Amino acid sequence: MKRAIAAVLLPLLIAQPALAIDLGNLLKPLSGNNADSKGDIVNSVFDAGKNLIEANRDIGPAEEKVLGDGLAANILGAQPLLNNPAVQRYVNQIGRWVADQAGQSGVAWRFGVTDDPDLNSFSTPGGAILITKGLLLKLRNEAELACVLGHEVTHTLKHHHTRAIQASKGKDALGNVLQGVVSYKGGSANHQLGANAIKGLSEVQVRGLDKNDEFEADINGMVLCARAGYNPYALVGVLQTLDAVNPQDGSVALMFGTHPSPAERLSKIEELAGDKLDAYAGGTEDTARFRSIVGKLPTAPDTRTVKKAK
Amino acid sequence: MNPLLIFRGLNPARLAGMLALTLTASMALAESGTLIRAADLKQKPFLDAASAGQLPANSVLDIVARQGAWMQVKSGASSGWVKLLNVRTGSGKTGSSNGIGTLANVVTTGSSGTTVTTGVKGVSKEDLQKSEPDFKELAKLDGMAVSTQDAARAAQQAKLVVVLVPEIALPRGFSSSSSSSGGSNTTAPSDSNRRRGP
Repeated sequence: MKRAIAAVLLPLLIAQPALAIDLGNLLKPLSGNNADSKGDIVNSVFDAGKNLIEANRDIGPAEEKVLGDGLAANILGAQPLLNNPAVQRYVNQIGRWVADQAGQSGVAWRFGVTDDPDLNSFSTPGGAILITKGLLLKLRNEAELACVLGHEVTHTLKHHHTRAIQASKGKDALGNVLQGVVSYKGGSANHQLGANAIKGLSEVQVRGLDKNDEFEADINGMVLCARAGYNPYALVGVLQTLDAVNPQDGSVALMFGTHPSPAERLSKIEELAGDKLDAYAGGTEDTARFRSIVGKLPTAPDTRTVKKAK
Repeated sequence: MNPLLIFRGLNPARLAGMLALTLTASMALAESGTLIRAADLKQKPFLDAASAGQLPANSVLDIVARQGAWMQVKSGASSGWVKLLNVRTGSGKTGSSNGIGTLANVVTTGSSGTTVTTGVKGVSKEDLQKSEPDFKELAKLDGMAVSTQDAARAAQQAKLVVVLVPEIALPRGFSSSSSSSGGSNTTAPSDSNRRRGP
């Protein structure tokens, strides 16, 4: 029965640009307009079938970018970008090249290395992807970097964070958060409100995603990596590097707290990919540009306070 | 000159400490693993390569190199190649292994655990929860983006060639992007049905 209602409602909502109207409505109070009657009708339709629709509803690319950029700004507020234009440019070139292999246009891909000694990487809806300097320094070659970025790019392409936020917060909270991010950026009087909204969002970064979303990102990340001309098994190398780190080590606390164990991820790769990627294992692994750019990256923190080692 | 000469005049405790440090440093350079199932050791990194012997499950391996889907290993007196995914490197030991080759210079100064002691620590859950969003830093990130053309040009210089690789289908309802009830045709047309080439 519920499904029957959904079957009637959904095509209706999608045929008309109702979703877009509703989202516009969520943002309305910002610009000072009152919700118009059309919006109210849409909202009441939504409320009627809320539970059914929420699970299926997608927010648009523009809204995802607002949310995602709030999340990215939150990470960057905790740890700034590494001040090394050559490395940043290099990581953007690899990331963009890998992301473009998904054939999905319209994502504002931006890649950055944070000045963080820990091992981690972050994805956000809207295309801001971050990798820590600590992880970058642990990578053996360019293929490993490409596969890590392929994993993060997949989270964005498959809307994993957006869905996690939707699932935990629901439509109304999502609207508030959207408003919050916008008002925070705009430096309006609601500044603190916006900051709080973003902090609410950061929950997803602290709790992590669904395990299966991580496994999907591993598999599809390997596929993107292979399409970009690399050996997709480089991701296995990265996971083995992580597997070898003592789980008690502080440098993996956040990553291990938000991801399935590397051993579990390796087993899933074996189970899900089987031998489907074996044909591409001859892809590129090492490149001169990796050796000259990442190989020369100073290991000492790029901060004003700490002197370069040697 | 006998390298041991440098230890003259040091007290035994100090000497032991230095030796331990040296050992730790050299252990960090060698990567080791465990075979998760019995496997045929190959002479070369190919499925149809000649056998170099059998290794039982739980064999302890010294990792020599990686290539493609294969790993070159030594175990006792035997050496050869096994599939990468047959090996786990986890052990909970503190001497975490590190990258090889180009990263050798990193290992001596900055394997995990020692970098942290420099005084700068990584982002924790608490840091993310109390972080003040930094949109100026985000603007910097925006400014670093490169175009598709730029990335493709750079890839070409690195001799990378696009390969046609089909998507790997996951079980139905496996992930959040495929599990919304009855919504598979209403969710964003994520590329689950997409198959593309160059």
